[in-house]
Amino acid sequence: MMTWIQHHPMTIVGLVLWATGILWLMPGKKASKPRAHMIGVLIVALGLVTFCLSSGKAQSEFADDVMFWVFAIGALMSGVLMITARNPVYAALWFALATLSTCGLFLLQHAPFLAAATIIVYAGAVIVTFLFVIMLAQQSGAAGYDQRSSQSLFATISAFVLLGAISLTLQSEKIDIARPSLDVVDSSGASSAATENMGAAIIADLPSTDITPVMPGNVMSKADADHPVGNLKGLGKSLFGDYLFAVELAGTLLLVASIGAIAIAPRREQGAI
Amino acid sequence: MTPEEQRFLLVGAGLFVLGAIGFITRRNLILMVLSAELMLHGVSLTLVTFGRMHQTNEGQAFTIFTLTVAACEAGLALSLVLSLYRKSHSLDIQLWSELRESDLSGPVLDSFGERGDATSSYENIPKLTPAGIAPKDPPRASTSASATTSTRT
Amino acid sequence: MSEDIQQLILWLIPAAPLLAAISTALLGPKLLRHKSHLPCWSALALSFVCSLILLLKILPTVELAAAPVEGEVAIAHSATGPQVIASGYEWFSVGSLHANIELRADSITAIMLSMVTGVSLLVAMFGSGYMSHDPGYPRFFAAVSLFVFSMCMLVLSGSFILLFVFWEAVGLCSYLLIGFWFHKPSAAAAAKKAFVINRIGDFGLIMGIFLIWKHFGSLDFMTVLGNAARIAEVDAKNPGVIQLICFCLFLGAMGKSAQFPLQVWLPDAMEGPTPVSALIHAATMVTAGVYLVARCTPLFVMAPNAQMAVSGIGAATAAIAALIALTQTDLKRVLAYSTVSQLGFMFMALGCGAASAELVTPAVTAGMFHLFTHAFFKALLFLAAGSVMHAMGDVIDMRRFSGLKHALPITHWTFLVGAAALAGVPLLAGFWSKDDILAVLQEASRSEAHGLYFGVIRVIAIGAAFLTAFYTFRAYFMTFWGPEKFPEEAGHHPHEVTPIMAWPLRTLAFCAAGIGLIVGPTHLFGDYLQKTMGLTPEHEHHLHWGVMLMSSIIAVAGIGFAWMFYVASPTIPAAIARTMKPFYVLSQGKFFLDEIFTGLIVLPLLGIAKLATLFDKYVIDCLVDSVGRAPKALSTIPRQLHGGVVSSYAGVMWVGVVTAVVLVLTMF
Repeated sequence: MMTWIQHHPMTIVGLVLWATGILWLMPGKKASKPRAHMIGVLIVALGLVTFCLSSGKAQSEFADDVMFWVFAIGALMSGVLMITARNPVYAALWFALATLSTCGLFLLQHAPFLAAATIIVYAGAVIVTFLFVIMLAQQSGAAGYDQRSSQSLFATISAFVLLGAISLTLQSEKIDIARPSLDVVDSSGASSAATENMGAAIIADLPSTDITPVMPGNVMSKADADHPVGNLKGLGKSLFGDYLFAVELAGTLLLVASIGAIAIAPRREQGAI
Repeated sequence: MTPEEQRFLLVGAGLFVLGAIGFITRRNLILMVLSAELMLHGVSLTLVTFGRMHQTNEGQAFTIFTLTVAACEAGLALSLVLSLYRKSHSLDIQLWSELRESDLSGPVLDSFGERGDATSSYENIPKLTPAGIAPKDPPRASTSASATTSTRT
Repeated sequence: MSEDIQQLILWLIPAAPLLAAISTALLGPKLLRHKSHLPCWSALALSFVCSLILLLKILPTVELAAAPVEGEVAIAHSATGPQVIASGYEWFSVGSLHANIELRADSITAIMLSMVTGVSLLVAMFGSGYMSHDPGYPRFFAAVSLFVFSMCMLVLSGSFILLFVFWEAVGLCSYLLIGFWFHKPSAAAAAKKAFVINRIGDFGLIMGIFLIWKHFGSLDFMTVLGNAARIAEVDAKNPGVIQLICFCLFLGAMGKSAQFPLQVWLPDAMEGPTPVSALIHAATMVTAGVYLVARCTPLFVMAPNAQMAVSGIGAATAAIAALIALTQTDLKRVLAYSTVSQLGFMFMALGCGAASAELVTPAVTAGMFHLFTHAFFKALLFLAAGSVMHAMGDVIDMRRFSGLKHALPITHWTFLVGAAALAGVPLLAGFWSKDDILAVLQEASRSEAHGLYFGVIRVIAIGAAFLTAFYTFRAYFMTFWGPEKFPEEAGHHPHEVTPIMAWPLRTLAFCAAGIGLIVGPTHLFGDYLQKTMGLTPEHEHHLHWGVMLMSSIIAVAGIGFAWMFYVASPTIPAAIARTMKPFYVLSQGKFFLDEIFTGLIVLPLLGIAKLATLFDKYVIDCLVDSVGRAPKALSTIPRQLHGGVVSSYAGVMWVGVVTAVVLVLTMF
């Protein structure tokens, strides 16, 4: 713990700044002047940049790097602003921005279909519905309960303890999950270097031959040279091959949920929303 | 794990944690639902990263299911929120605490969070929310009657 | 007669009333309603016929059968006498204890069965008239049927364990029927009293059964009672144990047969409907104790001290009950005390075997004969008293009515027959049996061993017999003679019994008059009974003319005094009551036995109970309450978390998640 703090002072500083900014921005008793708000945003931004810079250098191309920074900081910043927004309409809009940034990150992760689907579902449907509801429910303007937050100090500190612990784990040298190369997908691969490496890294107690990089069961989901990760064809094979029943179930779930939503939602009466 | 994947995971964790903070601290029902969605984003990002680490499409397939469930959840949550709103004319989560220990007093409502009265908000706030930052807290709610009339007219 | 039919008949005797009880209980309230007596009647009639077949047809032929036959119906004629056994099934088997459901009929059983089912049938017929306006009509017949079933099983049981079960079952039926009008506090209290006092006796009985099991290794009548050599062996091995067993068994008999000092429940049991008093508390159930002692004669002959105790307790009971009966004004209570007194007579006779071995058989015969005749005339007296009650609008206090002989002619002459039989008027039933008892006592008092003891008992018996005649006719004269007087509850004109009530009365009157003469002096009864195991047939019969003369004189004298006191010059009783005030009060107050019991037993127990209550309330409850308060006290702080707000719950959950994740992560 202490050694980690010594080795990663940047991360610590970033996290602390970030948390302070969130606490600063949280709606509370103190008056939120525009200038004070701006200071809070700056603190958060500073913390975020520090935190992201500390997370190590990738050997990726510069363009990818820039894209990542833009999207990551955008997503996190929008998230901070969303949870601290005093106006729910703004919160919904910040959430939309966070969604868009996340979709950008999806794209960087070779998940174009996912990015498109998320945008369609969230930006196209969910956010709009939220906005409708907000408009319906808060016709009279800002409400008192939006100007107050509860347990903000407790929630922020505990949340950042968790985030710190995750950062510690991810940046620890001991964690080095081997990624199977494309030609070592055969699960029975006796003692390939990758398997050995991974077994030693994660669970040293277990015999290394027991660890296989890919679950042997879901063969359709494996990426190979023809279908790299994120390939739409490969994703389709995974969904309608390995997860066919789950897909059917998900469809049923959607149906049930829509029926339920209609049943639960209040009937429209005169003078009511 | 490459540093690239590591930072994606860190972003996912950050989103998740932010959503949790929002869920705990905010009192607006809709904002709580939105925070839950933000947590789901963090999870989705992590799943996709894991899938890429393992060179499999399962992560993305799972994310699609997450998306489905999130959509269902959003629909149901919104209809529930509407039902609750119909009953209390407020989106304040603290109004709904019937399950507390019976001898404990109800939630400590803020001076301007009067129960069941959505109009007891700021005196000077116009109906349409203005762009920019919300104005200062109003004086304490001795003027709720006039606020009511002013907002109705 | 084939074995199958014999077995069927044997099973039918208890099974028919049981079926009647079940069907009446199930169908009665909804379906049968005022026809609820039909199952009971038919079942009892069937049982009665089967009992008569058993008595007259089966057992006399069994005697001719030679060797014991293996099989379902084992017929044996050996030391155990003629008997029919119908095996059912094994009820349970624990270790070497095998409780079999098995019916065993021998002479004494057959006599008891015929008497029980016959009297029950007549009482049930009377009851259907007597109870006709009662809302609990089906319940009454269900309980009566159940009682007859239990009583039949009690006398048919072939082992002590089955006997105990049905001993308790008749106690239960008695409880149910005493408390038939349970909404009356006095009836409920009387039922409880009967049950509790019977528990004392039952304690003795079950202790006796345990002892038998310990020393004989079996509870079967045949094994325990049928082998005199085995009893002698046990006695030789454990001196005094037979005595102890007999005392324990007799304690059981004392409880059930209301012997001093446990007789206090029987007079209170008169709170039940009068047919029940006639059937259970006069004719049948209370004689179960006599039956038990007679049944266990082979054990009792080995324990002369126990037999002497039986006689002594019987004499004390007979005298005390007779003295109490002198001053009671409640007609049913007089009859109840006379029942207690007559039961004392039976026990007096049963104990006479202590005097000499030759006397055992006559003694048991005399006791059982008195039981037999008593059943008829006492049932008759109770039913007649019931019809008086019926006519008088449920008034039973003899001071409030008189001169009923013209208003209720049938009741009058049947009651007269019963009273004369009870008093021992020559040639009637009670005369012969009481005569037998006095004769046996006379024989016993001549013996060398315990002559003085039995001499005293004989004097007491003669005195009690005189008192019996007196108080019986006191009741008779007070009720039926004198100026006509009706209580206002009776309306203007009391109505005579309906035919359905009259015919049982007439039948019983005929039996009370004639049955003694038919079976007594002809020795039909004695010869039949003496085939029971443990008894030795005797062939010399002689009528005790001297005793007969004496008892006739006693009876006539008693009746004469009663006539003098209550008809000729009614001022005498009051004068005697004045001059002998302490005795009068003593008798009137039932020797204050209830009060003595209250002071000696109930109040100390209540004191202990109060102490226990205080202990429970202030010590145990305190401990228990503090155990209950501890979690409450501990919970005051965490309870604050339960504020009902979702956010705080989510916060608590979040802390849990963070803790868990951080713990897991720091493991690496």
